[in-house]
Amino acid sequence: MPMARLSLVPKDREFFNLFDEAGTNILHAAQLLGRLIKQWPDAGGLGREILICEQEGDRITHDIIHRLNSTSVTPIDREDIHALASALDDIVDYTEEAADFMGLYNIEAPMEQALQLTGVLEDACRNIAQALSRLRGFQELNHYFVEVNRLENEGDRITREALASLFRGGIDPMIVIKWKDIFERLEQAIDACEHVANILEGIVVKHT
Amino acid sequence: MADGPHLATGGEATPSAGPAAARVAIIDSDSGFVRVLSKRIGAVGWRAQVLGSAPPPEELRAMRQHAIVIDVAMLGSEAWSYLGRICSISASQAVVVCTAPTSVAQRVRGMRLGADDWVTKPCHPEEVLARVEAALRARQAGAAVSEPPQAVVAGELEIRPDMFEAVVGGRALGLTRREFELIQLLSASEGRVIPRERIYERVWGYAMAHGDRSVDVFVRKLRKKLEAASPGWRYVHTHFGVGYRFDAQEMDTTTAAADEGEPPEASASLP
Repeated sequence: MPMARLSLVPKDREFFNLFDEAGTNILHAAQLLGRLIKQWPDAGGLGREILICEQEGDRITHDIIHRLNSTSVTPIDREDIHALASALDDIVDYTEEAADFMGLYNIEAPMEQALQLTGVLEDACRNIAQALSRLRGFQELNHYFVEVNRLENEGDRITREALASLFRGGIDPMIVIKWKDIFERLEQAIDACEHVANILEGIVVKHT
Repeated sequence: MADGPHLATGGEATPSAGPAAARVAIIDSDSGFVRVLSKRIGAVGWRAQVLGSAPPPEELRAMRQHAIVIDVAMLGSEAWSYLGRICSISASQAVVVCTAPTSVAQRVRGMRLGADDWVTKPCHPEEVLARVEAALRARQAGAAVSEPPQAVVAGELEIRPDMFEAVVGGRALGLTRREFELIQLLSASEGRVIPRERIYERVWGYAMAHGDRSVDVFVRKLRKKLEAASPGWRYVHTHFGVGYRFDAQEMDTTTAAADEGEPPEASASLP
């Protein structure tokens, strides 16, 4: 079957390249969100740039699904490709939503805990992006997953403490409503990173 | 945690007309009520002093409280004479009676002895607080509060409460309401450091959420406008990890760089 094997190679590359692109995209979005919250309310056009990342994420997901539907043999199980693509898309969606809320809720100033959460999100996305760029070999990826899991725990801790501090007496209920939403979006984005790490871990196990 | 008494709503009203940090004595033996009320008083930046038994009026005078909340029921037969004596401690001290249901005659007698207000238990601490605040306002109405606020001049800057604006060389800085309230608060305590939590409570009217950078953001905005209008002077100084201090200082080249710091980053070190 030499002919069939040759024809598969570019398709393999396409999937891996697309996941690599998705990794770069989530990291870029997370970095933009970190800058946006840090510089808030003087964030200029960063919100717009994050929106572009979100659209780029949709485009990549669409490309992956499209290729999945038009390819008979895939380098990774079809359901894993599908799950991975949509989990990666979730990260950018939550990231974009958090950025959107900053403007939508007319936030006056950042919160330290939000800055910490974006730092965690950025680190988690960096680990995922690096794992995705090395996915072809299915080798030596475990430390990325361990780190993402650790970061997710860290994100949970920060979110819990941030929420608890909002419910201290005497705080403006509007502040509570707004920031509770934003903290939760940031946590969801970090949770989505863990979900991606879990899917990747499953893929690696199947290929080793 | 409904609207605090300092809540500056919409386009009207400055925070409390009472003293910046009113001291309120609570003379009451109902520990549950006292705990809730003193916590609420603390939350708006006032100081509550809880007294489980009634101190001699002279002692109370020495404490120099701005207001007294008292449950006269705990004084038994001494209630009326005691109330009369504490009501005459000082012209600016407000007395609010907060006690179990009473008759009309008793309430009238209490008010005529000099109490500013009478609240019947069970009552909400917020209402007691609002009544104390109203009593303080009324006590001060004859003095400072009724006078138009005076303009403050510092360096090249003139802060004009009548215009809600700060002016340098006849030109307004274009301050927003919040920026104006911020500089007014800071300049009213010229030379003293005001903690960020306290600034937030006074300008925003609520307790500051842990990690909130609003004060820093608004100080930054204010500084930008001040620097543009009066570049040779520094007005708002950062005290890292604490808050801000208003002090008009003419810049010389050696101090300029040192003081022009970013907002304090102390709250970055969350537990």
